[in-house]
Amino acid sequence: MIADATMTALHAALSGLQQRSEATADNIANIDTPGYLASRVDFESTLRNELANGETATGGQGAVTQSTDPTNTNGNNVNLDTETTIATETGLRYQLALNALDSKYSLLRSALRTS
Amino acid sequence: MSTFDVLRISGSGLYANRKWMDAVSDNLANINTATSTDQSAFQERMVTVEATDYGSGRGGVQVTGAQFGSAEGRLVYEPSNALADADGYVRYPDIDMADQMTQLIQAQRSYQANLSSIDRATEAYKAALQLGKG
Repeated sequence: MIADATMTALHAALSGLQQRSEATADNIANIDTPGYLASRVDFESTLRNELANGETATGGQGAVTQSTDPTNTNGNNVNLDTETTIATETGLRYQLALNALDSKYSLLRSALRTS
Repeated sequence: MSTFDVLRISGSGLYANRKWMDAVSDNLANINTATSTDQSAFQERMVTVEATDYGSGRGGVQVTGAQFGSAEGRLVYEPSNALADADGYVRYPDIDMADQMTQLIQAQRSYQANLSSIDRATEAYKAALQLGKG
């Protein structure tokens, strides 16, 4: 099998992080929308459970919840600083997962060459 | 969820904020537009937005339309104005300059925030496109 447990786990992480960056972009796009509540994505708990139980990571969608931060006068609770921090962290973790996946591919390539 | 969804979402944010800036600049451009008292004053335009399909995961923001400010405006005694009525009054729009400038800055900053989102997403996508090439 080409895709081992590590690769499926990394793949699940990538799609979860991608989903989180979409949520952050959505929050920033709606930073002035009255009544909008910031969304938060959690894919880590599912992934952690799956890995702990020795299951294959499904890479399904993370759970989306609405932020419980206090709202301002127009009922919106998006904070640009929070969103920027999350977006930066998500971006870095995305790169990290990509690098890890890349090294897996390098290993595969070397294995294919040694014959 | 499509491949480059962040770009679409942030793009909708750019669009909404540009519409907002358009409305504000229109309001500012007409802040001194006098009309005669038998006509309605220039009405302040306020763009209304809502989250696209909130909760469905499609994401983004959309401009739903505009609300208009007071058509009555404010009456100003200006007998020398060509549009003045028999009592010497003309109608000016009821627009607050400071309020408009605040809105302009707000829209501008939100626009920039969306642009940063696009930058960040582009970096991530670029890195993903290099996958397996190393």
